[in-house]
Amino acid sequence: MKLMKFAAAAATSILLSTSMAAAEDKPVVGLIMKSLANEFFQNMLAGAEAHEAERGDYELRAVGMQNETDFESQINAVENFITQGVDAIVVAPADSKAMVRPLKRAMEAGIVVVNFDVALDEGAKEQQGVELAFVGPDNRGGAKMAGDALGAALGEGAKVVIIEGNPGADNATQRRLGFEDAVAEHKLNLLDSRTAHWETEEANQVFSTMLTANPDIQGVMAANDSMAIGVVKALESAGRDDIKVVGFDAIPAVMPMIEDGRMLASVDQFGQQMAANSIDLALEVLAGGPQLEGWVKTPIELVAGE
Amino acid sequence: MSAVDNIPHIPEKSPMSFRSVINNAGIGIALLLMILFFSVASEHFLSANNITNILTQITINLILAVGMTFVILIGGIDLSVGSVMAFAAVVAGKAITLPGLGATELIILAVLAGVIAGMVCGILNGVVSAYWSLPSFIITLGMLNIARGAALQISEAQTIYSFPFAFEEFGSMLIYGVPVVFLVALALVVIAWFVLNRTVFGRLIYGIGNNEEAVRLAGHPVFWYKVAAFSICGLTAGIAAIIYMARLNISSPIAGIGFELNAIAAVIIGGTSLSGGRGSVIGTLLGAFIIGVLANGLILIGLSDFVRQMITGLVIVIAVILDHYRAKYSAS
Repeated sequence: MKLMKFAAAAATSILLSTSMAAAEDKPVVGLIMKSLANEFFQNMLAGAEAHEAERGDYELRAVGMQNETDFESQINAVENFITQGVDAIVVAPADSKAMVRPLKRAMEAGIVVVNFDVALDEGAKEQQGVELAFVGPDNRGGAKMAGDALGAALGEGAKVVIIEGNPGADNATQRRLGFEDAVAEHKLNLLDSRTAHWETEEANQVFSTMLTANPDIQGVMAANDSMAIGVVKALESAGRDDIKVVGFDAIPAVMPMIEDGRMLASVDQFGQQMAANSIDLALEVLAGGPQLEGWVKTPIELVAGE
Repeated sequence: MSAVDNIPHIPEKSPMSFRSVINNAGIGIALLLMILFFSVASEHFLSANNITNILTQITINLILAVGMTFVILIGGIDLSVGSVMAFAAVVAGKAITLPGLGATELIILAVLAGVIAGMVCGILNGVVSAYWSLPSFIITLGMLNIARGAALQISEAQTIYSFPFAFEEFGSMLIYGVPVVFLVALALVVIAWFVLNRTVFGRLIYGIGNNEEAVRLAGHPVFWYKVAAFSICGLTAGIAAIIYMARLNISSPIAGIGFELNAIAAVIIGGTSLSGGRGSVIGTLLGAFIIGVLANGLILIGLSDFVRQMITGLVIVIAVILDHYRAKYSAS
């Protein structure tokens, strides 16, 4: 059913694209994102749509997926875009290895491919003989910025814990490594590190139990803000206002918490502009600019209270 | 004329029978052994704070599991409760952040909106699966996606926040160290126990699970009883959504992913048979405690996430094997 609907939608857009391309001859950019259930990608989509309206010199076709691990639908999306003959594909891969081969096919079909948000696996790229630049934030560097803020506030030897994202997810791993970099640099004492699968309720439960096991925790590093909210609620329930919390993503719901000091800081990686920036880069290459190389880093910024 | 007298040939397995007391005692003993083990293994386990934590942590699962007990007793299953909870939370979240109303009105509005949203999903599950006699497994799998999609659509995938202070206060209120939200869950257990054991409706829920045809032949509207069981499950998902919001002070469209599995696990560990007709809500209460104590205790003794996940899975498998022997014992 889903498949049929998808096929129907794809067929309609092929028809539309041929007629529109003939009419206006604007370049067509296919945007492939991860789960649109994720606030981060939802904002990114909104940013890309605003960007399309603002520039007005290209046509955007965006595809998301059902959940974070549904990478098969991303592979299908690449194939559909190849069939539709888009000019450029801008993609946030759900799986850094599985996406290499379909993207190689797209490049062979003469499509400009820009990889953003999550970098494709170096080994897999080498194996397939693909050279492709990466446009995106340094998740590890961003997490280190948050960890540094915590380290600076607490000082050497402070006892901290990490609340991780989904085990196995690339950005979760990068953020954990970034936190661990900060732990090493500030000589913090890492007591425990556990996953709460990016989710508020689970972070609340897991952290309140960690706090029972280690009542002397001084700081918490959460790999996203949804989990940081769960941590803050657990601290409120336990009546503790002496423990500092940092998060990641800077979603609107945590801004009041950063303002009133319940959270120390979060990290904004400007997700809203990230897709738009990548589209700009793709259009430059399309217009005859030089090929992208290596890692084009996008801005990240620490968001902290006064 | 009492309706109960009209039911012919339904094997009477009252949940208060000797055997069922033994069954529940078995689960109770397993729970006690677990508590004993963790209190020796971790000095923090029996601390007042940790007991408060455990009670808070099992609340949502217990509420969902109470509703799930009704559905499993009639021989059905509801895979949609986690998504329905998120849908109800988003609907209630939209209601509670409406501009221009006082805190009291907003809270009343949100509670009503959330509970009704949950119940509507439950009614749909019940009507569709009972009217066309379709397996509830598939219908509720459909609802799992419908409700999640609706939650994401309505919220535009954004976390909804900034609720009235009184609402938040309710979520973290303690009475002698016992979370008020847990008392809500406990009240639901008591109500469900009364309904299942002391009302005609409850006896017919067991009856349908045991022998649907016999209940039908006795002239009872089986269709409506089934719809009622699913509605109760949707209702509890709505209540769970309100509790989620009060505790965390946000509504998230991605809340409750996988919660249906924990709720089903609590019911099954509690000794309710997956094929229906046999079990009790007291068992569900104990089952929810076993899952909660396990999740909490395994972190306290410092086991890694992955080992913890494996052990939780193992406990579910063991519970189902035990259920197999219980069924054999009851049949003989």
